[in-house]
Amino acid sequence: MISNNSSNSNNSPVITLRDLRMRFSDRYVLNGIDLDVNPGQIIGYIGPNGAGKSTTVKIMLGLVEGYTGEVRVFGESPSDGGVDYKKRIGYVPEVAEVYDTLTAREYLTFIGELYGLKPADAESKARRLLEMFGLKDVFDVRIATFSKGMKQKVLIISSLLHNPDILFLDEPLSGLDANSVMVVKEILALLAAQGKTIFYSSHIMDVVEKISDRIILLDGGRIVADGSFEELKGQSQEGSLEQIFNQLTGFNEHQEIAEQFVAIVQEV
Amino acid sequence: MKEMRTLWVLDRFKGVFGKFGVDYPVMRRILQIKLTMDGRRVPTIIGKARNKDQADGGKVNGTEKNQFFSSLWLYLIFGAFSSMFVGLGDNFIFQMSLIFGIFMFMIMTSLISDFSSVLLDIRDRNILSTKPVNRRTIAMAKMLHICFYMFFLTGAIAIVPLGVGLVRHGIGFFLLFVAELILMDLLIVVITALIYLAVLKFFDGEKLKDFINYVQIGLTIVIALGYQLLIRLFDFVDLQQAVFQPKWWEFVIVPVWFGAPFETLLHGDNSIPYLLFSLLALCVPILTFLLYIKLMPSLERNLQKLADPGSRKKEGAGKWLKSISHLLGSSPQEEVFFRFAWTMMGNEREFKLKVYPSIGFSLIFPFIFLFTSGRERGLSGLPGTKLHLFIYFCALLVPNVILMLKYSRSYKAAWIYRVLPIGDRVPVYRGTLMAAVVRLILPLYAVEAVVFAILFGGRIVPDLIVAGLAILAYSVLSFAYLSKALPFSERLETAQQGEGMRMIPLMLLLGGFALVHYAATLVSFGVYVYAALLLAANWVLWQKAFSAKLP
Repeated sequence: MISNNSSNSNNSPVITLRDLRMRFSDRYVLNGIDLDVNPGQIIGYIGPNGAGKSTTVKIMLGLVEGYTGEVRVFGESPSDGGVDYKKRIGYVPEVAEVYDTLTAREYLTFIGELYGLKPADAESKARRLLEMFGLKDVFDVRIATFSKGMKQKVLIISSLLHNPDILFLDEPLSGLDANSVMVVKEILALLAAQGKTIFYSSHIMDVVEKISDRIILLDGGRIVADGSFEELKGQSQEGSLEQIFNQLTGFNEHQEIAEQFVAIVQEV
Repeated sequence: MKEMRTLWVLDRFKGVFGKFGVDYPVMRRILQIKLTMDGRRVPTIIGKARNKDQADGGKVNGTEKNQFFSSLWLYLIFGAFSSMFVGLGDNFIFQMSLIFGIFMFMIMTSLISDFSSVLLDIRDRNILSTKPVNRRTIAMAKMLHICFYMFFLTGAIAIVPLGVGLVRHGIGFFLLFVAELILMDLLIVVITALIYLAVLKFFDGEKLKDFINYVQIGLTIVIALGYQLLIRLFDFVDLQQAVFQPKWWEFVIVPVWFGAPFETLLHGDNSIPYLLFSLLALCVPILTFLLYIKLMPSLERNLQKLADPGSRKKEGAGKWLKSISHLLGSSPQEEVFFRFAWTMMGNEREFKLKVYPSIGFSLIFPFIFLFTSGRERGLSGLPGTKLHLFIYFCALLVPNVILMLKYSRSYKAAWIYRVLPIGDRVPVYRGTLMAAVVRLILPLYAVEAVVFAILFGGRIVPDLIVAGLAILAYSVLSFAYLSKALPFSERLETAQQGEGMRMIPLMLLLGGFALVHYAATLVSFGVYVYAALLLAANWVLWQKAFSAKLP
C-alpha cells in the first residue's frame, strides 16, 4: 500500500472522509475510505469496475445513504439534511440522465435556476457557454436529438453554470471529439489553477495520468494508492499509469484472457 | 415554455407551501418543467419531424398539447352515465356511496396504471437531488404533478354529476360534493403513495418492483370486489325503500364514509354511525396527508432501491423454456423470438405495470358477471345455464397484452432488429405472440376454466375447449389488427393516446365470438361444428395472419 499525500496546501480540506463504509445488502462496497482533499487539486479517482468510485461520489452528493463513518463536504455532512453545500458542487454523472424532451435552453436554464441563478443570468450564461462549444445553433433544439458528444457538452455546462468550487466528473470526456477533449482538458486545468477542486473519475488512464495532480486508486472499496503520478511511478517501478493500475489491482493475465477470448470467438 | 394557468392558481397558495418547508419558487419551476415535458410526449417520429422545424428556426410551442387531455372525454362520458345515481332520488347514503365507489375505482386504477411512473421516477433523483433543492420540495413537486392530473381527471368524471346535483339537490349538495371530491383525491394519492412507501421500505431491488406489480393485480381485484360489496349493502331492487343498516365491517368500505356526510349535513340525520362515517371522511384524508408529508423524504430515499441491482436470478428456467419454444416454434428464428418475448415479458417493468392490472380484471370479471346475474339461483343453480359463456370476459386482457407487446422502456434497443440478419418478420411476430399466449393468456384462461368446470360441472368441458380455441383465434386477430410493430420497439409514452378507440372494435369482436358460441349451443352438435371451424380458423390464422396486410 502506497500512502503519501502529496498536497501540503495550507488551506483546510474541502472534502474529508473518515473510515467511510457502505454496504449494499450483503456486500461491502466501501471498506473504510480515509481521504482529505484540498482546494485547487485535480484528483484522478480511478479503480476497476465496482471498486466503489461512483458510490463515494454519490455519498458525498447525498444520493446514497446508509453509510457509516464521517463525510464532510465544505464542513457539512450530507446526512444532516442540509442542501446548501450542493450549491458549490458541480456533477457530471457517468450515466447521463437528462430531461431530454426539453431544449438545451430550457434544460440549462432550469438547472441554473435550481442552483439559485436568476433565469435571465442562467440563460445567457448557458447560451454563451454552448456557443463556446460550437453548439449555438441547437440552443432551441430538444436534447433527445443530440448526439452523445453534444449531450455530454450540455452536461458539462450544466455542472459549471453556477461556478462551483468542487466538480465531480465521471467520464466527462466520453463521446467528445478530439478537439473538444483538448478544450475540456484545458478548462479543467484553468479551473484547478483558480483553486477549484476537481474529482475526476475515468477509465482512460492516459488522460488521468496527464491531468491529475494527485491520483487515488480504489480497489475493493479501499484506497490502495494515493499520490502524484511521479510518486506512484517511483514506488511501483512501472512506466505508465495503466501498468501501475494493473499491478496494484493484481491484474496481469490480460494476454491470456485476450487469447482465450479470441479462441472462443473463432469457434463458430 | 408557456406560463401555465395552473401555476398561477398555485401561486395563491404560496404561503401554505412555505409552512411545509417547501421552497416555493423552486418547486414551481420544477412543476413547470414537468408539465412542459408532459406536453411533449409525442410519438417519436412526429417528435423528430417537429424538432426539425425547430432547428430551422421555427418557434416551438403552439402545437404542444398534452395527450392526456384528449383521453379525458372517456371519463366525461363515464361520469355522465354515473350521474343518474345522483339524480335518482333522495337516498343519499346509497347514491353517494355508489358514486364515490365508482369514482374512487376509476381514479385509483388510472393513477396506478398511468402515474406509477411519476411516483416511482428515479431519473429525478439524479437530476434534482444533486442540486441544492431540499427533499420536501422535490416530493411536493411530485405530489402536485400528480394532483394536477387528478384535478382534471376528477373534473372530467365529476362535472356532469356535479351539474346534476346542483340542479336536483341545490347548492348545498353541490358544495359538499366538491369538498368531498377534494378529500377523496387527497386520500387516493396519499394512499397510493403510502402503499408504495410501505413496499419500498420492506423490500428492495427487483423483488420490490415485482411486488408492486402484484399489489396492482391485488388492488384491482379488491376494488372490483369492493364495488360488488357496495351494491350488496343495499337492497338493490328499490332505491327509495333501501334501508341502510350499518354494520361494523362497513367501516372499512371507504366510499360509504363519503356518502354519510350527505345524510348528516343535508338530511340532518345525526345517528351515530353516520356521524362516525362523516368524521372518517373528513379526518382520514387529512391525517394521512399529514403523515405523507412527514414520510415524503423517506419515500424519495427509498426510491434509490429501485435503481439498485437486485439479486441475480438463478439459472434453471432456461432449459425448460428451450424445450417449450422448440415444441411450438416452427423455425429457429421463431424459437428465438419466443424465448426473447418470454423473458422480456417477465422483465420489462413497463409491460408489467400496464398489463398486470388488466390480469386482475380479467380474472375477476367473469365471476362478477356470473354472480350478479346468477344471484337469485345461487351457486347450485348454475349448472344447466349458459352463464358459463361469461368466461369470454377473461379475454378482455388480450388486446391490452398485445398492444403493450410493442412498447418498451428501452425501445431504442430495437436497433438490433435492423442490424441483425432478419429477412422475414413473420417468425418475429409469431414467436412473440406465441410467447404472450403461452405465458399469459392461456394460463389465465386455464385457471378460469377449471373454476368454471367446478361450478358448472363436466358438461361444459366442450364449451370451455371451444372458448379456448376462440380466444386463441381472437389473440391472432387482435395482433394482426393492433400490432404489426416489432416487439418492444416503441416508446411507451406514445401509448397513451387514441388506443382506447382502437380497442372498441376488438371488444365487439370478442362479443361476436361469444354470440356465435351461444348460437352454436342452441343447435345440436353445434358446439362441435363450431369447434372444428375454430380449429381450422386457428390453423389458417396462425399461418397467414402475420404476413397478410390487414387494415
